[in-house]
Amino acid sequence: MKVLFFGRLKDVFGQSEESLDVNDASTIEQLFALYSERVPELAKYRSSVVASRNQEFAPWDTLLHSGDEVAFLPPVSGG
Amino acid sequence: MTPPLDHDDIIELIRELIDPRPLIEHIRAPEDGAIVTFDGFVRNQSHNRPTLYLDYEAYESMALGKMSEIAAELHEKYRVHRVAIVHRLGRLEIGETSVFIAASAPHRAAAFDACRFAIDTLKRTVPIWKKEYFEDGAIWADGELPPAPVATPRAKPAS
Repeated sequence: MKVLFFGRLKDVFGQSEESLDVNDASTIEQLFALYSERVPELAKYRSSVVASRNQEFAPWDTLLHSGDEVAFLPPVSGG
Repeated sequence: MTPPLDHDDIIELIRELIDPRPLIEHIRAPEDGAIVTFDGFVRNQSHNRPTLYLDYEAYESMALGKMSEIAAELHEKYRVHRVAIVHRLGRLEIGETSVFIAASAPHRAAAFDACRFAIDTLKRTVPIWKKEYFEDGAIWADGELPPAPVATPRAKPAS
């Protein structure tokens, strides 16, 4: 499973992507919690983040599978 | 009967200057009567602080997917012929175009409506982020949280 961080989340986490074993987290919510344990500052962004799975916006209870690409996306500011 | 319009759209993320001319030429066809364009470019200030430059990044594969979805929605909602949606990434100087949108249509109302819908939707749903650089530092622009599904719909129990 590949996990991606963008914008300010990338700055807070310190890197833009990482590979992770799918057994480490079964939902997107658990995955974010796992990273928040590693980098506690991430936790305060929880309410202003949306997640995607395989390039589609995904709810936090989405089940993860091997080979998934999950991304954590802060508020978007294109245009 | 009016023949169906082809949907030969241009959807791109680029790192060079955006040149609107070939985009407009591409979407302009004899069966059309109007093209409306939107040119979004870098303002010299943000909240009354002088901006030095901007840096845009994207989740590129997903951003292209979302931009294509916007184009598809334009064809569903409005009678537009062709659409160009191009966003620039990387460092942009004051006055440079960050996003260019153009829509051609047989009649002007559809082209106006489509252009407005496209830029409004892009700003809410396409995963692109802008960092603003000032004399005394840089910040990520506030932005908008995309509407995402809250929870996975559960299958109804069999009755």
